[in-house]
Amino acid sequence: MKCSESWLREWVNPALSRDELCKTLTMAGLEVEELVPVKDIEGEENSASNDYVIDISITPNRGDCLSVRGIAREVSALTQSPLLKKNTLAEVKATSKSSVDVNIEARDDCPVYVGRVIQNVKADAPTPGWLREKLRLSGIRSINPIVDVSNFVMLELGQPMHAFDLASIAEKIHVRHSKKGEQIRLLDSTEKILDAETLVIADAKKPLAIAGVMGGMDSGVTSLTKNIFLESAFFTPKVIARQRQYYAISTDSAYRFERGVDPSIQREALERATQLILEIAGGEAGPVTENIHQPFHSREITLTHEKIEKVLGISIQDHEVENIFRALLFQFERDKNDWMVTVPSWRFDISIPEDLIEEIARIHGYDNIPIHGLSGKLQTDYARDSEKDPGPLKQLLADLGYHEIISYSFVDHHLQGLLDPAQAPYELVNPITADMAVMRSNLWVGLLNALLYNKSRQQQRIRLFETGTCFIRQDGQLRQEPRLAGLITGFALPEQWGTPARQVDFYDLKGDIENMLHFLCASGKISFRAEKHPALHPQQTAGIYQDEVKIGVMGTLHPSIVPEVFIFEIALLPLKTAKTHRFEDISKFPEIRRDMALLINEAIPAREIQDTIKTIAGDWLKDVFIFDVYQGKGISPGLKSIAIGLVLQHPARTLVDDEVTALMEQVITALKGQLGAELRR
Amino acid sequence: MQTLEEILQHAESAIQSATDLKSLDQFRVHYLGKKGQLTEYLKTLGQLPPEQRPQAGQKINAAKEAVQALIENRSAELQKNQIEKQLAAEMIDVSLPGRSQGRGSIHPVSKTFDDLRKIFSQMGFVFMEGPEIEEDYYNFTALNVPPLHPARAMQDTFYFANGLVLRSQMSPVQIHAMKKMQPPLRMVAMGRVYRRDFDLTHTPMFHQIECLMVDEQVTFADLKGLLHQFLHEFFSSNAPIRFRPSYFPFTEPSAEVDIGCLNCGGKGCRICKNSGWLEVLGCGMVHPNVLNEVGIDSEAYRGFAFGAGIDRLTMLKYGISDLRSLFENDLRMLKQF
Repeated sequence: MKCSESWLREWVNPALSRDELCKTLTMAGLEVEELVPVKDIEGEENSASNDYVIDISITPNRGDCLSVRGIAREVSALTQSPLLKKNTLAEVKATSKSSVDVNIEARDDCPVYVGRVIQNVKADAPTPGWLREKLRLSGIRSINPIVDVSNFVMLELGQPMHAFDLASIAEKIHVRHSKKGEQIRLLDSTEKILDAETLVIADAKKPLAIAGVMGGMDSGVTSLTKNIFLESAFFTPKVIARQRQYYAISTDSAYRFERGVDPSIQREALERATQLILEIAGGEAGPVTENIHQPFHSREITLTHEKIEKVLGISIQDHEVENIFRALLFQFERDKNDWMVTVPSWRFDISIPEDLIEEIARIHGYDNIPIHGLSGKLQTDYARDSEKDPGPLKQLLADLGYHEIISYSFVDHHLQGLLDPAQAPYELVNPITADMAVMRSNLWVGLLNALLYNKSRQQQRIRLFETGTCFIRQDGQLRQEPRLAGLITGFALPEQWGTPARQVDFYDLKGDIENMLHFLCASGKISFRAEKHPALHPQQTAGIYQDEVKIGVMGTLHPSIVPEVFIFEIALLPLKTAKTHRFEDISKFPEIRRDMALLINEAIPAREIQDTIKTIAGDWLKDVFIFDVYQGKGISPGLKSIAIGLVLQHPARTLVDDEVTALMEQVITALKGQLGAELRR
Repeated sequence: MQTLEEILQHAESAIQSATDLKSLDQFRVHYLGKKGQLTEYLKTLGQLPPEQRPQAGQKINAAKEAVQALIENRSAELQKNQIEKQLAAEMIDVSLPGRSQGRGSIHPVSKTFDDLRKIFSQMGFVFMEGPEIEEDYYNFTALNVPPLHPARAMQDTFYFANGLVLRSQMSPVQIHAMKKMQPPLRMVAMGRVYRRDFDLTHTPMFHQIECLMVDEQVTFADLKGLLHQFLHEFFSSNAPIRFRPSYFPFTEPSAEVDIGCLNCGGKGCRICKNSGWLEVLGCGMVHPNVLNEVGIDSEAYRGFAFGAGIDRLTMLKYGISDLRSLFENDLRMLKQF
């Protein structure tokens, strides 16, 4: 809501500077967003003005402040300065008998409808400068004196008004619900086909206006109009909200009706507008037609003194409470410790005791409420399934050289399809752009976008990760699953003098994942199994399993998407069930290490060799690791040489050479027999 | 034959003159070896009358020990010299950078998540999560925002064909929490929220923290206390804090909270648009309709809640001026964290 400072001071003029006035408003909940010198506003009017435009952000509960009078009432309450204009109601005597019958059919939606005819207006008369200037500074364009007066009264009193060209009204006015399929061309030249529940102002034949929202083009006032019918009504907020949304039209009128217009001022506004029209455009006013079907019933609220302290934590003295009520023009009666408060007709936002308490706090000043420390029972935050702190995991990945990214949860449909073709992603009905149209079903689109973004900015070594929710369709049901994903590309290490440069590969990524899963204390056995994934290299993809449950996938990104990128994704929920690790006693006896080199068919996975060794070597085996894999010169095609270290230890005694040798013989025999391995001499 | 004194004198200067361990050893043989001068001298004892022998023997042994000590000292000296010489030749350039795996980074928004988690964990709040694709009921209706309520226009919401919405605030987690748990209740929810806005100061996805406390005696003054502690701790600053009346459908009374501009100290600058204040969060006492909706007796219990933009807190804390840069994932930005 914009209005000039001088207009506001016509209504209330506290002894406050401009800045003090703005601060007072802001600290009472009417936030002054901007204070603009009039001379900086473009327009035809004089540029020597010292006036300012105050732009106040009005919260949706304070429809009563969408007028100069409303803001003046607030200023008066806050500063104890009197309202300079209280009641503008000055009845204009009818000088003609012309009138239009009004038939209110939709009484619940239109409790008050007041109108009158004014004949022989000069709709082409110039609007006086003072009025044009007030409209201009409130951001409203001057059109013709009739429309300008309607807008002026709306700004001044908060009552939206509408003027019809009397010549366009067939017989009488009907305030009714539309019939499905009825059509209307509105003042903004758009054609609307009405549904069956729109509140319209109609004549005997057709709708003339969508009530409270916008008038029709054909019944609008033009410079050629001679006779007008002027409307001042109260429409129920919900009705106007619905039709404003349904037809997607925003107008100053609908904005006010939706938030609540004072239901007691329709007559006053009509008289005020009549008086101004007669002054500016001449004409003869007809008698007022007044249809009040539901006279305004004011709400009464009981407030106890005790409740104020319970909510605010501060005791406010009775006389201060009552002074606040008086300042806000709330009527009240005292009954022992209680107040019976009658809410004024313009305050739509006040219906329960807490609303009154907010008013008391607001005028008392939020800053005058003390600051208390918290008290109450404490409870520990026992970690629920999904709420584990992801901080340490992120720290680990950062320590492994990964940079965390945050990307949008909605992605491009095509890219998502490329990276997760098996999923039909959830589509937004109203996406903001085409490349943010579907919910991600995995985290790879965001990672690849970030990769390409940084590659095109000369970044060579890129390691990224992201955690976040993926939206998955499973058996027709939506699952929202937290996941972690990452990718690496470029050099294994930052370019440096002391270490030879090397490009990352599959096993760099796998090592990081193994470290991470170890860190997460994944209960159960982790394994990587050769698999296929439509977005990954067919020969370089592994499913990641915890026991027999698949928790993720890793591999080389399919070279047709982006070459030389290694990527993974794991689900976080299965990892959050980690059990507390049990400590194993450390043997005091020496470890013995034995190495062997095997020649073995290249198709046999290393894991099978290790598993065979573990099975045969049993409890003495503390560690088995592969320290060399070789194919090439000296090795027959189809074979690979693999060097394995075994660490053996007995929990209760020193192992002797003979028994270790015997065990190694068993292991080698098994490897020969089960896997066809040969010892390499 | 030289006297014992003469031998000692010569030995002393000879041992000092040795420049390496090898020549020192030659001197040892020369004096103490099987045919060394002092060993030979000992052999002359037999020629002395028996009563002089013990005294003379003592003198010779003392001389041997003295020579032995001289050799050991010189040997230690020479060894030390040798090590020093070797070390002197082993100079490296300590200014060359160390071998490095490279350090990654944690996104500044995540760092703020961590900070918030620490602060509110210490104050006894429980952390909860909720779905991002949410039912309209939880996102609006249960929060005292029925259909057609003008507050719905404050947040332009993304929705799906089946009527579900992307949550436009973290408040729905409150509803889930209150339906699941009994008061007294202290909870915090942090996560992604979505609104259909994309311009200089809005991104269609951002992050919010929502904090709720419900107990028998909870007041607006307690809320002020909590927020003072939180903001001073988070920004490591004692900047002034002010509470302005505002409106949220799910709280009554409601307030917006400003902190004195951290950039200019309240004098007025570009960051605070010359107001001296930065808006940081919205809060209030939980509206009785919300408590009643989830089955908590609003006469017996009261609650307070606040919600803040985590991205905004992050920008203010680290001096980041463009919200959109938080989601561009430019390594040149990320590497600064």
